[in-house]
Amino acid sequence: MRTRGRRLLRRSSRRPLWQSGILYAVVIFWCFIVLFPFYWLATTSVKRPIDVSRGPNYIPYVDFQPIPDHWEEMFGSQRESTQRHFRNSLVSAIGSTILSVVIGAMAGYGLSRFRYYWGRLGWDNDNIAFWIISQRFLPPAIFIVPFVLLYNALSLIDTYGGLIIAYTMFNIPFAVWIMRDFFNGLPVDLEESARVDGATSWGAFMRIVLPLSAPGLVAVAIFSFIFAWNEYLFALMLTNFNAITMPVLIAGQNNTRGIEWWFISALTLMAVVPVIIMGLLLERFITRGLTAGAVKG
Amino acid sequence: MAALNSSISTVREDRIMKRVFLSPAVVILLALSIFPLLWSLGISFTDMQRGGSTIARQAASEGITEGVGFLGMGFELTGRNYQRLLVDGRLHSTVRNTMIYVFVGVTIQYVIGLGLATVLNQPFRGRNIVRVIFLMPMMMTPVAAAYTGRMFFDSNALRSPLAHFLRQFSKAIGLEQAISAPWFTDIGWAPIAILIIDAWQWIPFMTLILLAGMQAIPDDIYEAARVDGANVLQIFWRVTVPILLPISLTVILIRGLEIFKIIDVVVVTTGGGPGSATESLTLYIFEQALSNGNYGYASAIAYVLLILVIIFATIFLTVGRRSIRGSAERGD
Repeated sequence: MRTRGRRLLRRSSRRPLWQSGILYAVVIFWCFIVLFPFYWLATTSVKRPIDVSRGPNYIPYVDFQPIPDHWEEMFGSQRESTQRHFRNSLVSAIGSTILSVVIGAMAGYGLSRFRYYWGRLGWDNDNIAFWIISQRFLPPAIFIVPFVLLYNALSLIDTYGGLIIAYTMFNIPFAVWIMRDFFNGLPVDLEESARVDGATSWGAFMRIVLPLSAPGLVAVAIFSFIFAWNEYLFALMLTNFNAITMPVLIAGQNNTRGIEWWFISALTLMAVVPVIIMGLLLERFITRGLTAGAVKG
Repeated sequence: MAALNSSISTVREDRIMKRVFLSPAVVILLALSIFPLLWSLGISFTDMQRGGSTIARQAASEGITEGVGFLGMGFELTGRNYQRLLVDGRLHSTVRNTMIYVFVGVTIQYVIGLGLATVLNQPFRGRNIVRVIFLMPMMMTPVAAAYTGRMFFDSNALRSPLAHFLRQFSKAIGLEQAISAPWFTDIGWAPIAILIIDAWQWIPFMTLILLAGMQAIPDDIYEAARVDGANVLQIFWRVTVPILLPISLTVILIRGLEIFKIIDVVVVTTGGGPGSATESLTLYIFEQALSNGNYGYASAIAYVLLILVIIFATIFLTVGRRSIRGSAERGD
């Protein structure tokens, strides 16, 4: 750690000043591009409607007087709606996250530790893994009609169960991919010694492997959660009242109430901020998960 | 003897357990992905509509209620959906739009992402915080990103900070007329606005993965190139870019396949308009299936999308594999 810091210092001190200037300019510029929309959402959510429509007002207390009305509306007169949609998002996201983590870890472990061979197609582990990840890239639009028919027949339309099942299906491929990659990097010695001591492969998996793979599991959980939380097409298609999630609620603001930017901004922040805080706290797991498949090819 | 027994039972147990580990994932994917996929293919060859088939409706209007039109039964088999694909002008424009989103979008995102990754690969104070900031757009609901984009590209110049900036900017450089663009109402500008919103959200993804790839390149290679007298640009083109080729292909493939699915941003910003200038294939399928209830035709379009995706992925994987092998043979 210290040597790395020293090297870092040495290299940056060797850099000419103009290069550092360009570097910081680019970084600051891009951070501005990323952060300004969030700032704009935050300020718009506390503006009076007239401040929104009368021209861009940037700085609270200078350009305009902030008011808490829209937030009060969201937690006051709209409380029932906000609460219900937030809960729907939360339940379907958490439910599918748990299922994806469990099923993904199991399949990832299987693909990493056992040899499969399906003679009929000549498929081995790599083929199976590729088939699983390829499901992630099927466009969901292909499933629209069959899912509607199937969900109608099973009365899963507009239920938590329906959304959880659909999101789990979408999350499994990525979960398997990350977990397989993770287990491949985990030495087998510990499991083998546990097996010698008489543990079953399930016992070794539960008691030795899973506790060691917390970082991978967390990465899978974050990705599954964010995907399910943000998903729009299936939520729109498979719900009509009770189970509508936040993204569908936000997208629907357009039609039902006219465009009330101030209220939409508050609602958007409500949907986005919890996820972002969670993501920022667990940032290192995300980076790790993102690079799991990609960097190694 | 006991050891032998236990090892035999271990082998048998493993043979069962390895199936237990893998099958939940495979079963779910077969049931919820492969089965609907095939079902969809079947539906695309019928005249199925919401609430029954055309035959069923006709029969109902004639007072016949028995034995027609229930869940895939009593539907006429027909190739009409596929004939209709050929003459549907709206479909052709949605295919074109989707291709534009994919190819232009991926190119913009890759080029800017690579540039930013190069910058972030330099050591500087606060790099970790910057990396965290970069994650933020990726975690935003695309619907929310689209609404935010709508505020910025608003044609009402009073509301939009971007328009405000452009007005001030043109005043500052002494233009008579302020620079402005009819973002969502113009056939030419609307796709650009959508591309920008998607890029804002996903450039960080490209950047972070390319950055991880760059950080995996050992310093010695750069040192060697520098000793050989290569300048910064040469090092970038001859060392960094070739080494990053496999990971570049992966991110481009991933992003490309993701953009094929674009719908949320389009729905929120333009709803597909003006006309069908921004409508994506996914949105068109959705409209046909759920707004018009044309299940058969929607499934046929869905297969067009699937075939496009497969062609894209196949070309990419083949070309990718060949160029990786090529660069390996050149001995880079």
